[in-house]
Amino acid sequence: MVQRKKISKSDLGRWLDSVAEKYELVGPTKDEEVHLFGPVSSGAEMDLEYSNSLIPPKSLFFPQVEGLFAFHKRGKEIELEEAKPLEKDRVVVGIRNCDVRSLSLLDRVFLDDLEDSYYRERRDRTALIALACPTPPRSSCFCTTFGIDPLSPEGSDILLIDVGDLYLVDVVTERGQELVALGEGLFTTLTEAEEKELQPPPVDMPALDVGELKERLDALWEDGYWDKLSLPCLGCGICTYVCPTCHCFDISDVGSTSAGIRYRCWDSCMYGDFALMASGENARPSRRERMRNRYFHKFSTFPSRYGTGYACVGCARCLVHCPGGVEITEVIKDILGKEGVSDG
Amino acid sequence: MTDNIYLPSIATVKEVRPETPDTSTFVVTFDDPEVSDSFTYRPGQFAELSIFGVGECPIGIASSPTWKDCVEFCVRAVGTVTNAIHDLEAGDKLGVRGPLGNGWPTGEIEGKDLLFIGGGIGLPPLRSLIQYVLDNRERYGEVQIVYGARSPQDLVYKEELKQWEERSDVDLAVTVDVGDETWDGPVGFVPPFLREINPSPKNRVAFTCGPPIMIRLVVEALEEMGYAYADIVTTLEMKMKCGVGKCGRCNIGDKYICRDGPVFTFEELRRIPGALEA
Amino acid sequence: MQDRLRETVRQILGGGGMAYFIGYAEGAEPHRVVPCFVTEESEVQNLVWGPLCVQNLSKYVLRGRDLEGKVGVLVKGCDARAIVELVKQNQINREKVVVVGVPCQGQADPRKLGRVLGPDLERVSRVEDAGDEFLVTVGEESRRVAKEDVLLDKCFHCRHPLAFEYDFTLGDVVPFEIEAGEPEYAAVERLEGLPLEERRAFWQKQFGRCIRCNACREACYACYCEECIFDRKAPRWLDRPPLLPENELYHLIRAVHLAGRCIDCGECERVCPMNIPLSRLYKKVQKDVAELFDYEAGMECDSVPPLVNFELDDQGPFM
Repeated sequence: MVQRKKISKSDLGRWLDSVAEKYELVGPTKDEEVHLFGPVSSGAEMDLEYSNSLIPPKSLFFPQVEGLFAFHKRGKEIELEEAKPLEKDRVVVGIRNCDVRSLSLLDRVFLDDLEDSYYRERRDRTALIALACPTPPRSSCFCTTFGIDPLSPEGSDILLIDVGDLYLVDVVTERGQELVALGEGLFTTLTEAEEKELQPPPVDMPALDVGELKERLDALWEDGYWDKLSLPCLGCGICTYVCPTCHCFDISDVGSTSAGIRYRCWDSCMYGDFALMASGENARPSRRERMRNRYFHKFSTFPSRYGTGYACVGCARCLVHCPGGVEITEVIKDILGKEGVSDG
Repeated sequence: MTDNIYLPSIATVKEVRPETPDTSTFVVTFDDPEVSDSFTYRPGQFAELSIFGVGECPIGIASSPTWKDCVEFCVRAVGTVTNAIHDLEAGDKLGVRGPLGNGWPTGEIEGKDLLFIGGGIGLPPLRSLIQYVLDNRERYGEVQIVYGARSPQDLVYKEELKQWEERSDVDLAVTVDVGDETWDGPVGFVPPFLREINPSPKNRVAFTCGPPIMIRLVVEALEEMGYAYADIVTTLEMKMKCGVGKCGRCNIGDKYICRDGPVFTFEELRRIPGALEA
Repeated sequence: MQDRLRETVRQILGGGGMAYFIGYAEGAEPHRVVPCFVTEESEVQNLVWGPLCVQNLSKYVLRGRDLEGKVGVLVKGCDARAIVELVKQNQINREKVVVVGVPCQGQADPRKLGRVLGPDLERVSRVEDAGDEFLVTVGEESRRVAKEDVLLDKCFHCRHPLAFEYDFTLGDVVPFEIEAGEPEYAAVERLEGLPLEERRAFWQKQFGRCIRCNACREACYACYCEECIFDRKAPRWLDRPPLLPENELYHLIRAVHLAGRCIDCGECERVCPMNIPLSRLYKKVQKDVAELFDYEAGMECDSVPPLVNFELDDQGPFM
């Protein structure tokens, strides 16, 4: 049962400061004109007047670099030391609903029947205070295409909605209530009049009709479209790094055979050597295959494997940051518009 | 397997048996008896072997789960990790994470005649199933093994081949691409060799593993001999990393080789876009 | 100009033997310009030209060199420096490239434009050259933005290769001149003037932000090694995680590898998602090469890059 309260903008900072006493507070901070999620010691350090972060908050649950365990060799004996758990539970403030949705998609990968304990711990011990978007936060956004509602509290513990001088606060979960309780007196319930007046502006974002996207895409496996689409791709991997649903990683050891750490770090299927084997065989030897694989993963094989909707949340980070001008919305439109085999 | 899917168990090398100039069998036992007891696997599953400080790599389990006291891996020295494994001697330790993957369909093939077609280093993954079948012999029909390697030196499990040769309930045929003075057996590639032998597809399931080109030609031959794709089973080699279906490396179509495979029938492979191209 | 461009490309395609022509097109939104690979006549109408055509398309020419047909490319004078170098460095066959030079009066840096316009950048439908200014159409309004406020840094010191032979030109392709902006190496000299500790802190902060996406390398015309040293597995020079020591090595090694070849196209800085001011690093390399060897990359078709050459009077202060 979602409870709606309100808090003034000035009181929000005070509440977050009291949250920071008990939890590790995480929010968007600005650095060289780029917003990133990181730990902050007070509400004032956060910049909530932002569109979205460059690196999505998946980095808080699936960090770019993560030590898995340390190893020590003494004589012939080998000892393994697991990574330490988080010091404190965390509260993430300012996460957008596209990114909230991405977490539920990543959950299907990391929390399947072979559960990833690192992701599990971070996920369980992190509360989400989402921030509803002014719609859209950027003209490139298209989350509504995937059924995401910027004003919905789904998937979060609390949703904040900016309505001018104050925030509406939708408290969803028990954990959300515990957090709100830390700001005793700062939150007030709405009067009946306020319930009517303080309405967030409606969502204004046209949605593409992607009902047939998978079906049409599946028919294009052999199509020459991918040769053309991959021409401007530089193979840099930015799209995979800024994508909230991308989850490919590499596992490697650093140190020596006597002592070191096994870690995992982000990797990209767009890199030429991603599927390259020691024998020299490469499952996706050219940009064409890799480009095709990316779109198939998002719009066909991920949904097929996990029984979810499309593995894209319409944040358009890939579109905004691709140095070669590859635009996912145009690809979707192209796929929807195509009848099948093309001239190549 | 521990609760941490990325954490290997420590195992000790009991014995190293050279098989060919670049391949050796490593017989290992787990240091922790609890792990030893709980490490139950199906033929065809694999494990991620760790040389800490160098890395991890996926290797098929070559022993049969009917052998209780140890686990065997047959490793070819081809990359950084496998070369480091080859530096191990008896008494040295390594990490073993597993068992992983789906394994051969041992239940579904009961009562059927079995045809194993291996090439070179493709024999060890088949061998786990062969040994399992031989240890449960009465459950299965004919066992026919067709095996080939580049040269007599490159034949893996030379001693076992002799044992299988001597068994009356196994039909073994071995060929080499190029013979030498020690070799008085057939000479020639596996696919034409197989065609000559021409085992009937009736009630028979074919298992094949070896270099990609051999597999392609073997499957062609089997098809022409009347085998259905659903009755031709292989184990895929793709770049794997985490082994637990998360890192994306072995992802092809909507499958993860490390979870939905590495064992697949060709009927399943045919339905995965890009699988048969790889 | 756009009509002339399209006419010229039609002519080029009509002549046959072309794999494709690389130009610019409008992206999903008009304030975004993207590369356009034209293979058919019907696609020619997508080609555009204007002050948002920032990207150096020469990198794609490198990619197309093994194709059967020729590759056509639209270049600004500054981009042509990459063609000069690629030919000199034996990476492309000049006969296989059809170079169309377009007169350019300065390009608008999308980041600077974003700073000036704020969120209105998203409502930009058109940017036109108007002498000292750009005419920016925002929604229904037409706004004047002084060029000196939004030009790409390199435009203040526009340099074209000397005597480059374009296959086609869409007008007089001459360097752009503007009396504004600071001296070319002013930003570098400010850094050089800092005490070592401050300089180190500056670069450590910047390199610490690098996520090692490798976009700077992929966008760079000069990074054409078949196997980049940073991708080698054995020996593994750099691990993948973006830790500061590795990041420093990555950037410093790449900068040194570019010495004598960097043409100041600015692609590295443009593509960096973290806004790392890479131009300050590469301008330093350019400055050093100019001072040590009196040489600038991409200017002359015949000169030998100094780092693959020696002269008897070369300075060797380290020896």
